[in-house]
Amino acid sequence: MQKLGDFKVPHFFNYPPYYTLQPVKETREKQVQLWKELILDYCRNQKIFVIGLEEDYPLFSNPVIERSLSHEARKVFLNALVAEGHAEWMDKSHKKCLILWLRIQDWAAYILNFVKENGFEDSVMTVEDIRSGIETRGTELAGIDRGVLMRALRLLEQKGKAAIFKGTSADDEGVKFSA
Amino acid sequence: MGNIFVKKPKITDVDRAILSLKTQRRKLARHQQQLDAVIEAEKQAARDLIREKRKDRALLALKKKKTQEELLKQVDAWLINVEQQLADIELASKQKAVFESLKAGNNAIKAIQSEINLEDVRKLMDDTEEAKAYQDEINAILGERLSAEDEEDVLAEFENLESEITLQSLPAVPASSVLSTEAARKTPKVQPEAGLQVEDKEDEVLELPEVPTTTPVPATSDDISTKATRIKVLEEPLPA
Repeated sequence: MQKLGDFKVPHFFNYPPYYTLQPVKETREKQVQLWKELILDYCRNQKIFVIGLEEDYPLFSNPVIERSLSHEARKVFLNALVAEGHAEWMDKSHKKCLILWLRIQDWAAYILNFVKENGFEDSVMTVEDIRSGIETRGTELAGIDRGVLMRALRLLEQKGKAAIFKGTSADDEGVKFSA
Repeated sequence: MGNIFVKKPKITDVDRAILSLKTQRRKLARHQQQLDAVIEAEKQAARDLIREKRKDRALLALKKKKTQEELLKQVDAWLINVEQQLADIELASKQKAVFESLKAGNNAIKAIQSEINLEDVRKLMDDTEEAKAYQDEINAILGERLSAEDEEDVLAEFENLESEITLQSLPAVPASSVLSTEAARKTPKVQPEAGLQVEDKEDEVLELPEVPTTTPVPATSDDISTKATRIKVLEEPLPA
């Protein structure tokens, strides 16, 4: 099985047909489904949050069989992800796509769970600490995109589970979680 | 959405202080990494310069490295201070939490106790005692109805039973004729295995044998077994 870095690639990655958009409806659906999952898994594994259509990713091309996904194919798959709620276009021209293998509410739930498990209720953490601190090492939160994190935290704020605040001007933003 | 204000956790000054400290901690850590990188770079530069035989430049690089190392030590010390303070704050806030809970518990006890007036309790106990005494009186009066004769009979039976029990715990009491020699050997202490003279007469006389004047000698084993069985016979309850 081929590997993209540490990532184990599924079988279909090596089949040329999967790189061309299939005309037949059923095959197309299957193809889209497989690619959607692959994109999400890969991004989760590699901690990729943004996919730029202009950029190249090892994910989209397989040099061994000399095939790569066309611009249009990528758009199709990414659009499918957006429809599912697992991605968002960051700009009108659909050049950059924010990948959310966990949707924002899933992230919020994940954060809440993390707080509960580790006894961080009623304690203050800086946003940077959540992103790259010792406490989150080894969890999905390590290396999370700041924008995604802030959105998840704001969602928690709306629900009343957290409060975002700033101390003095030099301080990072802080989050206080409630029990 | 006016509810949000109430539901969100409140941010206190303590929280802001903690935030400041944590931010500072992060910045110091970053600074440490930067200094580490510079130190390494200067070391490398010094090595290269020595190889190129530019001793004065090499010395300069080493001096720069030294100042960076001093600075790093300073940053390390600050970082420890910050961590210490964070730990202290956390300890203090936990102490406060414990104190608050204890206080609340104490208040709860006081509130519950205040509902029970000590005077009321005393009065209650007195009333109960009075009622009990009254009840006992009534019982006594009612009890008097039982005839006096019955009372005597009961007492007599009680005494009989008492004596029976004492009888059973003692060895079989020899009947009135205590004159046999074997009986004379019996020790004052209760020893059923020793030679006991037992009469088949059914007497309830509790006469004990006289204190032996000679040293008691245990009887032969044959003697003991027969006597043992005869003892058993006598130990049936005697008619009143």
